[in-house]
Amino acid sequence: MDFLVFIKQVPDTDEVKVDEESGTIIREGVPSILNPFDEYALNLALRLKEGMEDEVNITAMSMGPPQAKDALKKCLAIGADRGILLSDKVFGGADTWATSFTLFKGVEKMGGADLYFSGQEATDGNTAQVGPELASHLNLSSMTYVEDVLDINPKEGYLTAKKETDEGFIKLKSELPVVLSCMTPPDFEPKIPGVKEIMKAKNKPLDTWNHDDLGGTEEEYGLEGSESQVISTYPPPSKGPGEKFEGPAEEGAEKIFALLKDEGVCDD
Amino acid sequence: MADTDLARDDEFELTEEQKLLKESLLDWGERELPLTRVIEMNQEGHPYPEDIIKSLANLGVIMGPVPEEHGGSGLSWEDQAIIADQIGYIDPSIATAAGLMAVETGWGYTLNRYGNETIQEKFVKPAINGDQFVGIATTEPGGGSDVAGFESTAERDGDDWILNGEKTFISGTEEAQKMGGAFWVNVRTGPAPEDAPHKNMTSFCVPVDADGMNFQEPYRDAGRMAISTGGFIMEDVRIPDRFRLGEVDKGFYYTMEGFDNARILIGASSVGVTRRVLEEAADYIKERETFGNPLAKYEGIQFEFSDLYTRMKALRLMYQQVARMQEKRYQEAGKGERKREPKTYSSTDVARWISMIKWKAPHLAKEAADKAMHWLGAAGYADDYVFETAWKGVMSYCVGAEGGANIQKIVIGRETLGPEYVPYK
Repeated sequence: MDFLVFIKQVPDTDEVKVDEESGTIIREGVPSILNPFDEYALNLALRLKEGMEDEVNITAMSMGPPQAKDALKKCLAIGADRGILLSDKVFGGADTWATSFTLFKGVEKMGGADLYFSGQEATDGNTAQVGPELASHLNLSSMTYVEDVLDINPKEGYLTAKKETDEGFIKLKSELPVVLSCMTPPDFEPKIPGVKEIMKAKNKPLDTWNHDDLGGTEEEYGLEGSESQVISTYPPPSKGPGEKFEGPAEEGAEKIFALLKDEGVCDD
Repeated sequence: MADTDLARDDEFELTEEQKLLKESLLDWGERELPLTRVIEMNQEGHPYPEDIIKSLANLGVIMGPVPEEHGGSGLSWEDQAIIADQIGYIDPSIATAAGLMAVETGWGYTLNRYGNETIQEKFVKPAINGDQFVGIATTEPGGGSDVAGFESTAERDGDDWILNGEKTFISGTEEAQKMGGAFWVNVRTGPAPEDAPHKNMTSFCVPVDADGMNFQEPYRDAGRMAISTGGFIMEDVRIPDRFRLGEVDKGFYYTMEGFDNARILIGASSVGVTRRVLEEAADYIKERETFGNPLAKYEGIQFEFSDLYTRMKALRLMYQQVARMQEKRYQEAGKGERKREPKTYSSTDVARWISMIKWKAPHLAKEAADKAMHWLGAAGYADDYVFETAWKGVMSYCVGAEGGANIQKIVIGRETLGPEYVPYK
């Protein structure tokens, strides 16, 4: 079986810096990490692989600038068997639709997979759209907020998954292949690759495919292929300094209570 | 981890794998050995927690440069030095660095290099897997830096050797007794020539559970309390000849090589300690305000920080160079061969650099911790922060662990000015 995990390299910071002129995120000087949701998706794929009778190959695929290779190398060290980076200037400025289209073209070139994983969302954009859009491009079912895969049966061609909802969890069954958008459970501890795994990753295949490799017209990709455009990006207004009450705890509690009453948060 | 990141620009010339190694170690540290646990372990004292040893073994960082066929990870010395740097950063009490980097890796690698298959199977592999401990026992009551003062002996008895003598200030005695394993022990196998007392020394792997091994109570050290320092007396300890390391009477040379390897890792881990201390201190001095300004704005503090930071960066480049030199030497010399004059660097070239890093890096870490305590005042002196723990821990490398500072100065002088200027033998 072939598992395909879509991953993204994201800035490792809550304080996203924004270029005032272009409204785009300034990545320079900001350390990058593997999107934590994607890291969970890969760990889930690895766990499923361990429990499978059939041989499973896991490919990690990403669209991004050349430095996104670092995130793919980490995936190889964690346990993916192959990495594919889709990188070309033509892909730049893509919204979620153009991103999912590019990834879809990557899937086409690689010949498809039996099960697809992505993180629920990326921590830099938080759109949660790429997974379902990929399912649309691939004409497959999409399962979102998947916290776990409970059962997978390749012979019968289905899997059951645990999906998080506002009310709790539901159990869903789907035909294979399916695109899973994975939600990190609170108790998740990512696998830390050891020295031998890191060194072994050096010899695993890591390919870069550009626009020529994927085919199609330039207008289908990147900014031109995007259905939406970012008009402006700005950090949320910073909260002012809080009010500090000093003195005995009881007095402080009374002051806080009075303040909450004034704000209409609670009554007597 | 601290909010301030002083390692971001250390990516210079690192391979992708080395960057991942650093990242993995940092993730491991955040999960398994956060600063709160370091401080707690230091207060609770030894023995060193076995779960951390096992966890580090699973990561593959103990004796990383040992070839894969002997259970190691086949890392370069630069890779291992980068690991040592991160270990020093994660545990600035240096108990982890002292136990697992300097002792087990520095000396364990040298054991692997000169040890026969019995030594590999019985001692090296189990230590790499975190199941046993291997340590080094050179110092005696009458001699540490002064090799002429060594008195322990070994006498041949058929296929065995009978060892007698006393070893003192030995790292990991309690851990070794608890986990099993062996100590690399140097003994005299002939009288010490007056003009060359380093001759007629032979090295053995002595199992901790051998009959006649009598361990003493560990010392109550000032710092690095999570790993024990003790001693033992050997009374007619009989061990087979297959536990001998390399050739008879050549132990001094293997020992010097072991010191070289351990010292590189101590230098690197001390740079890591300095980095952690400066990052934690930077977080504080940027936040803490006095007289209307953050502490970091006062030149009295800022200039000291800049000075320490600059020297730390210089030492970081230095350990990278030293590790690369040592790697080159090993690449040019076959296993078990002690090539005195390899192609690129001579042993004296490398020894000089190693002594420079071993001398300067621990002292800088101690100075950084000292300054940080001054910057923070009473808060820095309390054990809520890591500074006093780091200060006490790294002091062990300053006063003598793996070679005192003055010995390093003698080596630098000897290898630069010439052997005729050695003050004494």
